[in-house]
Amino acid sequence: MTASGTHPALTPPDSTVLRAGTLSWLFPRRSALVAAFLVPLILLLITLAIMASSTGMPLSQTLSGLLGTGDPGTVMIVREFRLPRVGVGIMVGAALGIAGCLTQTLAGNRLATPDLIGVNEGATAAVVASAAGSATGMVGGWWLGPLGAVAAAVLVVLCAGGAGSRGYRLLVVGIGVSTFIGAVSDLIMSRENDNTAGGVFLWAVGSLNGRDGSVGTPLLTALLFLVPLALMAGQRLQLLRFDDDMAACLGVDLRRVRAVALALAVALAGIAVGVGGPIAFVALAAPILAQRLSGPTRVPVLGSALTGAALIAAADALGRVAAPVELPVGVVTSVLGGPFLLWVLLRSDRTTGKA
Amino acid sequence: MSITKGDRLEAERVRPRSRSPFRSRTAVWAAAGLVAVLLGFVLLSLLIGTGSSSAARAWDYLRGDPSARADAQLRLAVLEVRLPRTLAAVLVGVCLGTAGCLLQAATRNPLAETGLLGVNSGAAFAVVLGLTFFGATSSSALLLWALVGGMAASAVVLLFAASGRTAGSPLRLVLAGSALGATFHGMTSYVLLGTQSTYDTYRYWTIGSLAGVETSDLLPLLPVVAVGLLIALGCARPLSALGLGDDSARSLGHRPGRVRLLVAAAVSLLAGCAVAVAGPIAFLGLLAPYAARALAGARMAAQLVLSALIAADVMILADILARIVIRPWETPVSVLLAFVGGPLLVWIARSSRLSTAGAAA
Repeated sequence: MTASGTHPALTPPDSTVLRAGTLSWLFPRRSALVAAFLVPLILLLITLAIMASSTGMPLSQTLSGLLGTGDPGTVMIVREFRLPRVGVGIMVGAALGIAGCLTQTLAGNRLATPDLIGVNEGATAAVVASAAGSATGMVGGWWLGPLGAVAAAVLVVLCAGGAGSRGYRLLVVGIGVSTFIGAVSDLIMSRENDNTAGGVFLWAVGSLNGRDGSVGTPLLTALLFLVPLALMAGQRLQLLRFDDDMAACLGVDLRRVRAVALALAVALAGIAVGVGGPIAFVALAAPILAQRLSGPTRVPVLGSALTGAALIAAADALGRVAAPVELPVGVVTSVLGGPFLLWVLLRSDRTTGKA
Repeated sequence: MSITKGDRLEAERVRPRSRSPFRSRTAVWAAAGLVAVLLGFVLLSLLIGTGSSSAARAWDYLRGDPSARADAQLRLAVLEVRLPRTLAAVLVGVCLGTAGCLLQAATRNPLAETGLLGVNSGAAFAVVLGLTFFGATSSSALLLWALVGGMAASAVVLLFAASGRTAGSPLRLVLAGSALGATFHGMTSYVLLGTQSTYDTYRYWTIGSLAGVETSDLLPLLPVVAVGLLIALGCARPLSALGLGDDSARSLGHRPGRVRLLVAAAVSLLAGCAVAVAGPIAFLGLLAPYAARALAGARMAAQLVLSALIAADVMILADILARIVIRPWETPVSVLLAFVGGPLLVWIARSSRLSTAGAAA
């Protein structure tokens, strides 16, 4: 394999052409660097998140538990309780990041987050209904959230009757429908007692409490299926950076790309919100941060996934050590994610992308 | 008229016949219709209530019937209960409609809503602080907390947006607002997690209602609203120029960054008052500008006026419904706003005229 830029003018500045005989591959240097930086960071954060707890656990013990070399008790605590929870958090973060990346790229609008398509409200409504319907005021099974989210999104798509220009019609209809669904939730809640309200509130803040292996397996299965598709959609979305006419000239079937990208965003966001609750801010911030890392010429699907995962892992770890009571991950992402995003944006003081 | 419509349009483009912002007949008729509807709703709002005073008696009172005027209970119902609510609904509507329209134009982002500058989350955080640590419970105390908190939060957002080399760029404004809004929202959740008792009061505040608003609460807000509206009218022309892009606006002698920050300040004033009176209702500030764009096209002044009128109409309709849907109880107005406004927004978005108006990213 030799790296050569036979046509430097045609090679993107952040990539290298790798050739082996008649095969060639455009190797994205910068994105690879970013991934090479983010993956170890996430692994480090996972370790920290497992270490961080109210009871405390030294690093050596954590590592021995992870590797299975420690004493049985430690191994059990790490592998049976903490690792699944952190793993679920990371998967939720990745799903949110990708969903945000897809919707933002599609609309060419940084405010176009997947929660506009009604996934948050749908999931919340399902959970609220389950809590109101039960005698104890407890929130029902974990699968209710994803179900509600996807149902709401399907309703939005049906009401919109098509994505419209840049997906705008769908987003606006999504705002209308999700406001409506949110009102239904509010109405149910205003008739409920405070017990139910408290339980639903804890869910609605976005918490990973009690999320373990039973959720992890279906979540992982869904992601293994959806993430490759999203990566392929991202390739196509690169061409939407120009205007629609240009994309059409380059042979992109706009309607199909939009429909597929939106469907993927809905599915990913629906699953993520359903499992982790409406964790604020990750879907907005992860794609922006990923874009900063990978440069303006790419649609950072993988980068958004890694950034989202890192954000949630960091928030989960912080939430366990920061306060006397354990903070839900959604509180940490909003309180600290906001200033962090500002710092990243204002430090270099360059604007990328369109608002 | 032997001139075809196309010719007339061509002539208008070359030589505008008047300097009026309402050059299109649609917008004028729409504004007239909206004003008529608003007056009708105001009358209805004074006649209909949850109490025992019937609409017929209230009508007698408004006509000046001596026996009705002498009825103390009727007087209380019409003047002390229904009139303040009606004024509040119109005030909140005008504020949110104008603010939403301004913000969407200034950020060139049709998804921007009035809560974007942190006004709503700042107000909510302040209300929670007031409830938890300062024992504020009365509605006027909460109103003050909300007003101060909303203003303080948006001031922080504006400071961020005004700093640095890209001061006043639309993206900077939007992201600073989103980021700080999220922070306040998180802090609100954090405080609420620790105190169950606060959460219940907060629940009812955040759901929004105009019940129990008093005229004395509204009066101090009027000058603030007036300042906001004046800035809005003054900004109509620069904002139209901004719609052409920053470079064109500069060549026309405007300063885009400065205009944006001034507009954002006006938005904070207007949205802050609305949040203080009716709780964090973000949705109306998104809906009204959409509808206004569908009616008025690209003319900024017409958009502003129509947006204010539409929002006032929708708000007062929602408040009237809030009184009668499940009599004798009140329904939260934000819930009815969603029931009225949600489908309305869907309908507008599906109408073909908006396919162009919505795509200004």
